[in-house]
Amino acid sequence: MVNTSLILHWHLDVSTLLLAAIFIAFFYSVTRFKRQRNNKLFAGVIILLLLLLSSPLHYLAMHAYFSAHMIIHVILLLICGPLLTLSLAGTDHPLLNRLSRFFNKNIWCAWITGVGIMWIWHIPALFDMAMANHGSFAPVFPLLQSGSLLLAGVVFSWPLLGPEEKLHTHALSGIVYLFTACVSCSLLGLLITFAPQGTYHYYHMGGSGYNPWNISHIEDSEAAGLIMWVPCCFVYLSGCLWLLYRWFISGSGVKLNNVR
Amino acid sequence: MSEETDLNVPEPTQSIPGLGVSNNQGLLQWISSVDHKQIGIMYLWLSLLFLVIGGIEIMLVRTQLAVPNNDFLGPEAYNQLFTMHGTTMIFFVLTPAIFGFATYFVPLMIGANDMAFPRLNALSFWMTFFGGFLLYFSFLAGGAPDAGWFNYAPLNQYNYSSSPGINYYCSGLLLSGIGTVTASVNFIVTILKYRVNDMGLKQMPLFVWMILINSFLVLAAFPSLNAALVMVLLDRQLHAHFFNAVGGGSAILWQHLFWLFGHPEVYILILPIFGIFSEIFPVFSRKPIFGYGFVVGSGIAIALLAFGVWVHHMFATGLGNTVNNFFAASSLLIGVPTGVKIFNWLATMWGGSIKFSVAMLFGIAFLVEFTIGGLSGVSFAIVPIDWQLTDTYYVVAHLHYVFIGGSLFGLLSGLFYWFPKMSGRVLDERSGRWFFWLFVVGFNTTFLVQHALGAMGMARRVYTYPDLPGWGILNFISTAGGFLMAIAVGLLIYILVRAVRSGSKAENDPWDANTLEWTTTSPPNLKNFEQVIPVKSTRPFRDYKRPDDADWNRKEEYGK
Repeated sequence: MVNTSLILHWHLDVSTLLLAAIFIAFFYSVTRFKRQRNNKLFAGVIILLLLLLSSPLHYLAMHAYFSAHMIIHVILLLICGPLLTLSLAGTDHPLLNRLSRFFNKNIWCAWITGVGIMWIWHIPALFDMAMANHGSFAPVFPLLQSGSLLLAGVVFSWPLLGPEEKLHTHALSGIVYLFTACVSCSLLGLLITFAPQGTYHYYHMGGSGYNPWNISHIEDSEAAGLIMWVPCCFVYLSGCLWLLYRWFISGSGVKLNNVR
Repeated sequence: MSEETDLNVPEPTQSIPGLGVSNNQGLLQWISSVDHKQIGIMYLWLSLLFLVIGGIEIMLVRTQLAVPNNDFLGPEAYNQLFTMHGTTMIFFVLTPAIFGFATYFVPLMIGANDMAFPRLNALSFWMTFFGGFLLYFSFLAGGAPDAGWFNYAPLNQYNYSSSPGINYYCSGLLLSGIGTVTASVNFIVTILKYRVNDMGLKQMPLFVWMILINSFLVLAAFPSLNAALVMVLLDRQLHAHFFNAVGGGSAILWQHLFWLFGHPEVYILILPIFGIFSEIFPVFSRKPIFGYGFVVGSGIAIALLAFGVWVHHMFATGLGNTVNNFFAASSLLIGVPTGVKIFNWLATMWGGSIKFSVAMLFGIAFLVEFTIGGLSGVSFAIVPIDWQLTDTYYVVAHLHYVFIGGSLFGLLSGLFYWFPKMSGRVLDERSGRWFFWLFVVGFNTTFLVQHALGAMGMARRVYTYPDLPGWGILNFISTAGGFLMAIAVGLLIYILVRAVRSGSKAENDPWDANTLEWTTTSPPNLKNFEQVIPVKSTRPFRDYKRPDDADWNRKEEYGK
């Protein structure tokens, strides 16, 4: 049975505000709030971010469940990150232009950043260290974790949704880009699902001793892995289908270097 | 060149010699060939040979099951026969037949004169060929594999199967698996690099699209099987412990590795069939395909989803409710893109001027049978139903509705459609209709009743069964249907041989078809094309024949 007091667990901490402030400052410095549509989208993402990181879901993630933690990760990486990139659409700024050109030429850098950061934070020792630090006055690791996941989402989506549409990667290459990320995500999810008990020490030791839904540790860590494995892949798959749709409605037929 | 050391490989001096060996170099021209058409035909002959062998095996099995408590076959022989039947039909009938059509028609459909790597093409075929024969050598070497086509641990371990059969299973499938991977590399390069200049990806025939998607699927799925086969060999030959729980290994690991390959394999055997039907429905409905983009998109969606659902084969292994729930949900989703395709084909036929040739009859029958197989498949996504029905004849019925009602019907449809092009001869449509009806009636008689047998609790892979109410009669009906199918296959072979020997000559374009392969001679010359017609839509040959009504000249796109 759901603990009724859970929905009252809203906590807005300094690190979350700091993270939002950094992103707002960056957004202002490159866009000067010139485009209404972008501003609205950006405001939406920041509100989502603040709600997410202060919500009871976040409280559960920090004190009780690995699976709740994973939902936060997925929303940061696969929803907030790409939406932040979209909020820069059409923005003409030397730094953004340089980034677009760079990722157009070195798409693998974006892939490695997106996938790599996700993997790194799930190295058990690093993960436990970040969680152990969350209760302190200046929680550096949770800030780093949320911030880097958000950044990973931005960078990963840049070659597909970046501000300069001409420098987007080809839709069909984009499908391969997303599919390989999906495979990597599945692999990590699989490892977490079938990891021996106690791999993620913090949750195995009972987090903060809070368990409102009486979920066993093994079920919780399985669910965490499976959230990364199955729903994540459907996000990537939806991205693939969207790219394909965009390719089909685009004007001319595409040729991949015919030589005959 | 030194004459002592180098073999003189005969170069053909005449056009491709139809389907026979009566040419100036005899059999050697076939064995030494690197021509995609000859290799494609050899794939198809190989597939037919193994269809007969695998068919004989299953007729022995069905004879054993015709009546309760039968002792026609002992349990050991029974285990070997059903294992060899499944392995043969999947790896050495359906796969080579699909690759045969793809090897023959992909270059022709994209306006190329051969595959990108002709020698690799020959290597792929011969790997498959020798893989098959290596597998069958096990009968002479002390016993065929006997742990089912998916070769579960611990049954694949030495303690449970001490005959060398499983070793041959591993070696044979490893060889043919390498052949499948190399062929897929060849298809990808050929399709991406050797299309005629005009042909963008959006003008590509859907069969070629499906082969492209399929080839990526093969590249992603087969390494898992190949690695697992090596691991079993290591377990059996060098006493490794990958799948041996006593030694610290995991039997479930085999299931993960196998189904990581095995579920995509199901789509590897059906996506090209979707491609074949996406060519046949428009030609025999006299309409463009309805929703070209959706056929491609759902094909890609199926390929991507293939890697996210394999655990539904393992619901009964005790992975727990958490795992089962996620994979139940994802497995239900698979029905969506497949359903999309069914509606694509139905809408293609809708309002069309349908010609009921044998190829089209198989297409229409496919829509019915494959939907039955799809629906019984979706029922397995519901975990309690899976627990109730797993390892029963309901599964046997389901997988045959998919593999026969889906894959084999597609291949037979493709055979009747493309045979005139490959041989220069026409398959007799009247006898073909007899074959169609015999085969369809036989197929449904065999497998429809097995749904009931499974629901009544009859376990698969057990060599006999007790005389429980209804079991005897339903099994007898199933066996009778099996014999009807065998008679039908005999008739098919007769039709093929008669057509090759004395069939009437085929025109270059007997079906008034749409794609480039029909622009060349029947059978094509050694060099497929001297010139290729312009490609401006998905139906370039039709555009060429009817310039006033060309697809590219219309406002609407993609199949209105």
